[in-house]
Parts: sequence; structure tokens; C-alpha cells
Amino acid sequence: MHSSLVRVQNVFGYFTTVAFCTAIFVALSVLVTPQHPSASIQLRNVQVVKGRPHYYSPKKEEYAHIKFDLDADLSSLFNWNTKQVFVWITATYPSSSPTAPPSQAIIWDSIINSYSQLHPYTPFDAWKDLPIVGTNKVPAKKSKSASKKKVAEAEAEPTPGLVRLKNSKPKYQITDVTGKLASQANVTLELGWNVQPWVGALTWTAKEGQDFGRWKGIRGGKSEAFDLPALKGKSATQETVIQKGTPKPAEAKPVVP
Amino acid sequence: MFAALSNPRQSLTQVLNFALVLSTAFMLWKGLSVATDSPSPIVVVLSGSMEPAFQRGDLLFLWNRGQNTQIGEIVVYNVKGKDIPIVHRVVRKYGGGDKPLKLLTKGDNNMADDTELYAKGQDYLNRSEDIIGSVVGYIPFVGYVTILLSEHPWMKTVLLGLMGIMVVLQRE
Repeated sequence: MHSSLVRVQNVFGYFTTVAFCTAIFVALSVLVTPQHPSASIQLRNVQVVKGRPHYYSPKKEEYAHIKFDLDADLSSLFNWNTKQVFVWITATYPSSSPTAPPSQAIIWDSIINSYSQLHPYTPFDAWKDLPIVGTNKVPAKKSKSASKKKVAEAEAEPTPGLVRLKNSKPKYQITDVTGKLASQANVTLELGWNVQPWVGALTWTAKEGQDFGRWKGIRGGKSEAFDLPALKGKSATQETVIQKGTPKPAEAKPVVP
Repeated sequence: MFAALSNPRQSLTQVLNFALVLSTAFMLWKGLSVATDSPSPIVVVLSGSMEPAFQRGDLLFLWNRGQNTQIGEIVVYNVKGKDIPIVHRVVRKYGGGDKPLKLLTKGDNNMADDTELYAKGQDYLNRSEDIIGSVVGYIPFVGYVTILLSEHPWMKTVLLGLMGIMVVLQRE
């Protein structure tokens, strides 16, 4: 059977096999890169205020506004298969029910793009530097400076994963499911992350001591425990409205309906 | 080309082969469903509020064993009254222990959390009722095939027909 249909089939089959093998190899190969993240978080200031989730809400809740310092080195999380790293800081505190595990809420987060995400490789970039056949145009000089420029760009770019925040405001003012948060004791801030690969498995925060082969758990990354203040003075009478936009859904459909 | 039809035994074998291929695929899908404890262990991303992590057409592999979902995990959840599941990140978790966790989610690309997307009167997701899985694996682009197939239903018929004709007409 040497019809062209069979050949097309063979070529396509070969292509998918090679693509999948390469993807599996890339996904597994990241295990050889050493990871040694470290961070330190300090509480700067904390306030508890009364407020409503949005303007028309009749619900009144207590919101904690936590300011913090963060000094993190997550640069070793970036390897050839890293698309982005999502970092966040959670506030962890005991739940109101004694049998339940601690409650957690994100007070700050950020997406750190990898170099390859910011500067995606396109084969057409290389074509631009080729001399154009049949003309006298030789863009060789330009290409040299262009490639130099690229190198300079890469060098100027700060290493992704170095995060330094001084007295940073929280991105989210958090509340509890009960609506009460004032005077909450034993709150800690903790750094977490999620590595989004180009292909393969997603990985999450490795806690201190959670080593996996060449991947070391985080050093530090946790604040001292502190207590939230009570509602008092101005904050007890004033009301903040947590302004939010309208969320859009990221819809995901089962592959087999 | 139609030689196969002149030999009924052979053509029957080929029909049987085709049925075998289909049932194997179905069994794999259901087997994966049992292994991951999720009604749909592989989903395709349709829209972009988790960008740049997930884009339209990306394939996500879900895992639904263990009710102890952590902050930062990306979960796929159903909202009562809507048919298309949503994939967003967990930003708050309350309770747990004997009762199911209460979770709040948010899309990375959104300013606001998902309270408005939930059913009326619902402020939090229930871990055991609403969530169909947590994302553990990722393959880009491949899901575009399913998007094409579902947005142009005739392609599904054509593809299935072509596959059938190919299997039946092919000789060993």
C-alpha cells in the first residue's frame, strides 16, 4: 500500500509520535535542574476595618489590611520549561471550629513571566536577517546590531524570580467566612508559588524540608505569628467598600462531551 | 479498492476492528475517570481569564482524589444552572475537617474574585459538591481539535465517517 493517503498518514503519525516524545522528555528533564528557593516575610502594619463587599451589599464584614515586606529569591524555579511562576502570600489563621484545619486567604499575588514568555521565539525573526535573493539588499550589518541589541536586552532584563517589596500594600483585603476577623490571634504570613510549565506537570510550593531530588524546599518564607488588632476609633465607625470589577469565567469543557 | 467488500469475512473483521478501536478509546476515558475520581479528567480551555497560564485550546489534566484542596491550586468547578465548567485558582479556603472545605476562586487575569460568577446567594464553593478536579498537568494547543469539532458539529460526522471508511477499506 503505497498510496499517497498512506504516506500522509505515516508522516502525520511520525510527527505526533516525535512531538509527544519530545514533550515527555522536556517535561521530565526539568528534574535535573537544581531548585533552592528562599524568602523572608515581615509584617509591617495591620489594620482591621468594617466594610461591605460591594456598594449595594447589605452585608457588613470586617476586613484585614496587612502591609508587609517581602524579599524572595525564586530565580531557581525558572528553567527551560517554565512559562510563568505565580507567587502569592497567604495569611493563615486558626478556624473558628476547633476541629477544622486553619483558614487561609491570599493577601497578595503576582505573575512572574519567564524570559521565554516575554520574548517568544519565532522562526520569522531569523528570516529577517537573511539576505534577500535577487536584490542587492544585504541586511547583514543590521542583523549584527539587532542580535547585539537582543543580547543587551537579555542582560538588562533583571533575573526573573527576584522579588523585593518594601512596606507593600496588600492586593486583597481579606475577611473570614463568618465576617468577623478583628482580634484574631495567631496569624502568619506565608509565601507560596505555582510553576506553570510550557508542557507537563504543574508544581507547587515546596515547604521547608520537603526536598525532592535536586529540588530543595524553601528556606524561610514564613513570618512570625501576630495578632490582628480590634476594631477601634475611626475604623470602627468608618466603612470601606471593597470595589471589584466583574469577573470573566475561564471556561473549560470536557474533551469528551 | 473495493476488493474488501468481495470478501465478507474480511470486511466483517474490519468492522469489528473499528468497533474495537472505538470501545478501547471509550474504556480508556472511563478508566481515567475512575482513576482520577473526576467525571471529566481531561478538559479543554475555552476562554482566557487564566491567561497567560492557560490559553484557549490548551489541554488540562485533572485529579480529584483527596478533599484537602490547597491555596493556589487551580480547580475546575461547576456552577448550578450553568453547563460549562470554569477553571480558576483557589485564593481563599475556610473550614475543612469533618465538613467540606469552603473555597473562593479567582482568575489570574481578573481583577475581581468569582463571587459574582457563582450561583445566586452562593458566596463560596463547596469542595465536595462543586469541584470536579484540580489541574495537575498541561499540554498546550492540542485541545484545539476538540474546539473545532464542537463548534462545527458536521466535522465530527465527517471525521467519524472518514475513520470508518478508512478502517473498513484498509487491508492488512
